[in-house]
Amino acid sequence: MFKIDQYAYTSKLRHVHPGEKFAFAMLTMGICLAASSMLVPVLVTGLTAAAIIRGARIPARFYFRLLLLPLGFLVAGLLAVTLTISREPDPAVYGLVIWGITLGVTIPGLYHAGLLFTKSLGAVSCLYFLSLTTPMVEIISVLRRLKVPALLIELMGLVYRFIFVIMETAGSMYISQTSRCGYASLKTSYRSLAQLVSNLFVRSCYRSQALFTALLARGYTGEIRMWEDPRPVSRKNLALIALVDFILLVLVLVSWRWPV
Amino acid sequence: MKEFILEARDIHFVYSDGTTALRGATMAIEKGRKVAVLGSNGAGKTTIFLHFNGILRPGRGRVLFAGREVRYDHRSLMQLRKNVGIVFQDPDTQLFSASVVQEISFGPLNLGLPEKEVARRVENAMAATEIADLRDRPTHLLSYGQKKRVCLAGVLAMEPSVLICDEPTAGLDPVHAVQVMKLFDRINQQGTTVILATHDVDLAYSWADYVFVMSRGTVVGEGLPEEVFRDERLLKQSDLTRPWLVEIHEQLSRRGWLTEGLPLPRTKEQLFDYIQRASGSGKPALVHLFPREKMRPECASCSVGKK
Repeated sequence: MFKIDQYAYTSKLRHVHPGEKFAFAMLTMGICLAASSMLVPVLVTGLTAAAIIRGARIPARFYFRLLLLPLGFLVAGLLAVTLTISREPDPAVYGLVIWGITLGVTIPGLYHAGLLFTKSLGAVSCLYFLSLTTPMVEIISVLRRLKVPALLIELMGLVYRFIFVIMETAGSMYISQTSRCGYASLKTSYRSLAQLVSNLFVRSCYRSQALFTALLARGYTGEIRMWEDPRPVSRKNLALIALVDFILLVLVLVSWRWPV
Repeated sequence: MKEFILEARDIHFVYSDGTTALRGATMAIEKGRKVAVLGSNGAGKTTIFLHFNGILRPGRGRVLFAGREVRYDHRSLMQLRKNVGIVFQDPDTQLFSASVVQEISFGPLNLGLPEKEVARRVENAMAATEIADLRDRPTHLLSYGQKKRVCLAGVLAMEPSVLICDEPTAGLDPVHAVQVMKLFDRINQQGTTVILATHDVDLAYSWADYVFVMSRGTVVGEGLPEEVFRDERLLKQSDLTRPWLVEIHEQLSRRGWLTEGLPLPRTKEQLFDYIQRASGSGKPALVHLFPREKMRPECASCSVGKK
């Protein structure tokens, strides 16, 4: 997760307008999810992979490892969708018969699973594209432009900031405990961990209090107003996004009209 | 007639957990000065600062800004916080945003300034604290010193008439510590009153032109640095030590190695100058401790000890 955050700040697409990246990711994801054949999701997966590896210059190995993350969930979910269990022998089911119970797969089931698999992979890669090229602060600023309620926006910003503060505190507590043999045996490990967690909670409460004081000192009145650096929108990028998504959309519509 | 910009008169304050932080603290800050507030941990420095900014209300006593008693309604408080800026000691309690620019613009935006003015102030504050190159970096990837400078910029951007800094050099490397102190001098020359809280007696002695000493919730001493740092009893009582300049000056004077009647040196350059003058006037100088033959060649060529 911290790696993703670091890449977001160093990618080659860092200085592209966040709105453009957001629009590309969301539109493409929408089209991918609306597809009724495997063609478009596969295209989307390939396209975003190219954009991430060639465009944003994220190392390919790192990206493929990221893609493996959702694979576990996907496979488990797909097994449930594809496997068919029935008591009566069914000629459409290919599989094993054990004690009169047929366990197997059907052709439409397989196709369905394949579609589901490629669609999810396509959607996930769109989200990866956004999170690997756009820092959280900029995603939040896009959401603000989209009129997401201020409360949610402020919460997202503070949560994001404090993830790092609290991780750092927890990290240094862990090191100081380890240096005093806090994790030497299973029993002391349990005790040390319990102390770490409770201490972290108390510290966080204290932190939030101190933050509130510091905000008050700078004239906080219950609303965090945000400054946005003006950033030019690139017509070229917009045209490219429009073109790519238009082609994908046409492909989806064609496959709706004339299913394979 | 002295003009006081901030005054605390006999303030008592108890935190909600029962800790008595201030017991009758009185402090009057003169306008346009460089003030250092010294005191050990828990002496009440931060608490009195929070009173100056209207965050805390005194249990007893009065706080005055520019001669008028501070009122605690919304508009008066905004006015006070616009004029009195506090930079807190731990930058991680002050930084709320992951973006440097958003962090610095928070204060000016709260003042309701137009966008152009906010942009100008943010740029100025970043230039003054030399963090313009950190602009696009997230705050969690900054070093401690960089975070500290971002916090300072966030308060500078509000252009307060009084700047209060809690331990501004703690945790900074020597180069940046000197830089920050120079920045305070610059801000002060532009007419801003600067108040520093510190344990660092050497820093306070060389930099400040007025010093307050706090101990156990009250102000136990105040005055010009030369006076305050000579008062050994006062320093001892408030768990402070004497600045090395005062210490060495006293040792040298006692042995008669310095010309008498000169004021206490405020900088090390001034002390070196005294030593040089003393040896020039035929006094038994320090140099006698180090025979010239044994000196390295580059030292032998300097004027110390030459008649």
